[in-house]
Amino acid sequence: MTHPTEQISAYLDGELHGHELTQLMDHLSRCGNCTAELEQMQFVRSAVRSLPVLELPAGLVSEADPVVVALPRHKGMWAGVAAAVVIAAIALAAIVTPPADEVDLQRLNSLVGARSTLDPAFGPAKVSVSPLVSE
Amino acid sequence: MESIPLTWEEVARVHGRKIYNFAYRLTGNPDDAHDLVQEVLLRVHRGLSNYQPGSFEGWLWRITRNAFLDDVRRQKRRPTAPLPDEVDRWAHGATESADAEYARISLGDDIQKALLELPIDFREAVILCDVVGLSYEEIAKAVAVPIGTVRSRIHRGRKILKELLT
Repeated sequence: MTHPTEQISAYLDGELHGHELTQLMDHLSRCGNCTAELEQMQFVRSAVRSLPVLELPAGLVSEADPVVVALPRHKGMWAGVAAAVVIAAIALAAIVTPPADEVDLQRLNSLVGARSTLDPAFGPAKVSVSPLVSE
Repeated sequence: MESIPLTWEEVARVHGRKIYNFAYRLTGNPDDAHDLVQEVLLRVHRGLSNYQPGSFEGWLWRITRNAFLDDVRRQKRRPTAPLPDEVDRWAHGATESADAEYARISLGDDIQKALLELPIDFREAVILCDVVGLSYEEIAKAVAVPIGTVRSRIHRGRKILKELLT
């Protein structure tokens, strides 16, 4: 006797029709082995179908969104623009800020010590102090 | 008549969870499933403008399985089983008793491990049928094999699962 075993799963899935369905029903009424297999396949099918439906992890779709995926390039571009603006602002501030009061080192030395007189290389000098960042 | 999502956002919204479940059951771990879904959505984005009206499900699942098979070929790695506490933790309410929860997770873990023991062809057929819920005809289109082959793969896959689970 030929056992239509592959038809058993198709039957459980509602994929068996017409003549094949009639044949299987007839066979099952006479074959204990195939009836047992039907029960086993039903158990396995139910077991797999009992696996719970998992929710999509939060953020997965937005991470895969082509628009979002393209963002890092834009971010990099804007970061570059922002950095350029800051540098330009600092340079501009340095240019337009009025010179700070000149500091006379000799006078300073006379106040805090006599190093400039002991060290020839450390002669009187005038420096201009221009704060880089204005408040 | 099958309604066809026209935009990437609609595909992601309508099918994202199904793709994730397919990917998770096929790979057996959330990280690979995560990567696979992202790859599939990327391929959908690239291919959507050229999509010809027909079987959208077949087109989508063909993309999904091809992405998985490409990944398997590229990494030449065998999918691994998930850690028990990683399984199914999202989808259950707090009303389940602890014993029932443990039994369910334990059985779910056993089923997941058994699925990973199946040859890939059988595994994808069983998952597309029992997890995703596709008809044999839709599976045949997705996998590009005759319906008879789908029927055979599902039945043989279930027979192996029966041996592994009993």
